[in-house]
Amino acid sequence: MLEVSQLAHGFDRQPVLWDIPHLHWQGRSLVHLRGDNGSGKTTLLRLLAGLEAPRQGTIHWTLAGAMSAVTPPCPGRVLYLHQQPYLFDTSVAGNLRYVARWHGWRGEMARDRVAAMLEHCGLAAHAEQRARSLSGGERMRLALARAWLLSPRVLLLDEPTASLDRQAIADVSALISSLHEVGCAIVLSAHQPSVLTERCDEYWSLEQRCLQVSAFKQGVAV
Amino acid sequence: MHELMNTAREALYLLLSLDPALWEIIGVSFRVSLTAILVALPPSLLIALLLARVAFPGRWFAISLVNTFMAVPTVVVGLVLFMLLSRSGPLGELRLLFTQRAMILGQILLAMPVLTAMLHSTLQSIDQRAWETARQLGAGWWQSLWMLIREARFGVIAAVLAAFGRIIAEVGSAVMIGGNIEHFTRTITTAIALETLKGEFAQGLALGLVLLLLALVLNVLLGVMRGRGHQTVSV
Repeated sequence: MLEVSQLAHGFDRQPVLWDIPHLHWQGRSLVHLRGDNGSGKTTLLRLLAGLEAPRQGTIHWTLAGAMSAVTPPCPGRVLYLHQQPYLFDTSVAGNLRYVARWHGWRGEMARDRVAAMLEHCGLAAHAEQRARSLSGGERMRLALARAWLLSPRVLLLDEPTASLDRQAIADVSALISSLHEVGCAIVLSAHQPSVLTERCDEYWSLEQRCLQVSAFKQGVAV
Repeated sequence: MHELMNTAREALYLLLSLDPALWEIIGVSFRVSLTAILVALPPSLLIALLLARVAFPGRWFAISLVNTFMAVPTVVVGLVLFMLLSRSGPLGELRLLFTQRAMILGQILLAMPVLTAMLHSTLQSIDQRAWETARQLGAGWWQSLWMLIREARFGVIAAVLAAFGRIIAEVGSAVMIGGNIEHFTRTITTAIALETLKGEFAQGLALGLVLLLLALVLNVLLGVMRGRGHQTVSV
């Protein structure tokens, strides 16, 4: 569950980017975050992930299994994926092995989990290929596989299908939907409507420096 | 011309016949310079990381200071250390003057600005997303730091090679605080200076050839590292 209170942020060139007096999110749905260029979608996602500190206000996550609310960052549980995911300078499997090592998985357990995730994300054939030689769609799939390995509670995706071709969009959308189906709440920003945005349960819209929250399918404000 | 050819032939003979006196000098040079690089690398890496990744007041002045130290002549480092380590100096009690330890100290001071400046430039060019991604994926602070260094590995190796090339070829500090003592602090460069003054050109030339060969190897390696670095920087 996400609880945001009196959140305001801005930069020197734009002192008030937006102002969110209150936001309560159960943290189960698939959310489409919309807004014009420069409206602050990326900034909001980065704040929710704890990659930046807000100028004003508070953000609290109450995650399943946690005793109390915590302020971000929540590594491995609330994950932000960059629009252009950063892939470590190693093989495709190596990128997943890093994550396994950071979480203390060793030997056969790590190998099995990495192999299963590569298979699941359709990257098994590329396992030993340099990660940076992958195409745009494959890069995003690897970034999702890397995140999925941690079974995150929330994924914050910054334009995950931007600059991808139709097939890549379909592949990435299918993966994101699968992640959602296994219990990962998702907030994704996107300019254009796509297969993925059509599957969203609700949308958050950044307009005139405010965040409007609406149920998507019913089209009724929550 | 004939004399020059003879000297060159004699120099090659000294090298290829594994002349003990010659190879002892080469051994001292490499031991001192490699130790200096190994000691200088960790603090240089930390300072470079600090300068590249942490915003603090006076950071640009600190970077300018590091760049300025790169231009300090080796004899000036030798002079300062000589004053500090001589009997009447503040560190005279340590009795380090004219020892290999003193030479290592001098070479650390010469290597650190080169290492720090090059490492700073390398680490600064590493994408901010590398750190963020590692942290988001659950890497601890030290694990993320190690990841950053690993991502910059070709630049790190290039910095080490460049700094090693600078200190093994320096003569000013080595002769002033090492004293050019036979079987102890005589290095390639101090031996060349001495042999030339004595008119023993063959040994000087042989040692010069070693430095030339080393410069060639280091430059080839640097070229390879630069190439690999450029290949991996593009994301």
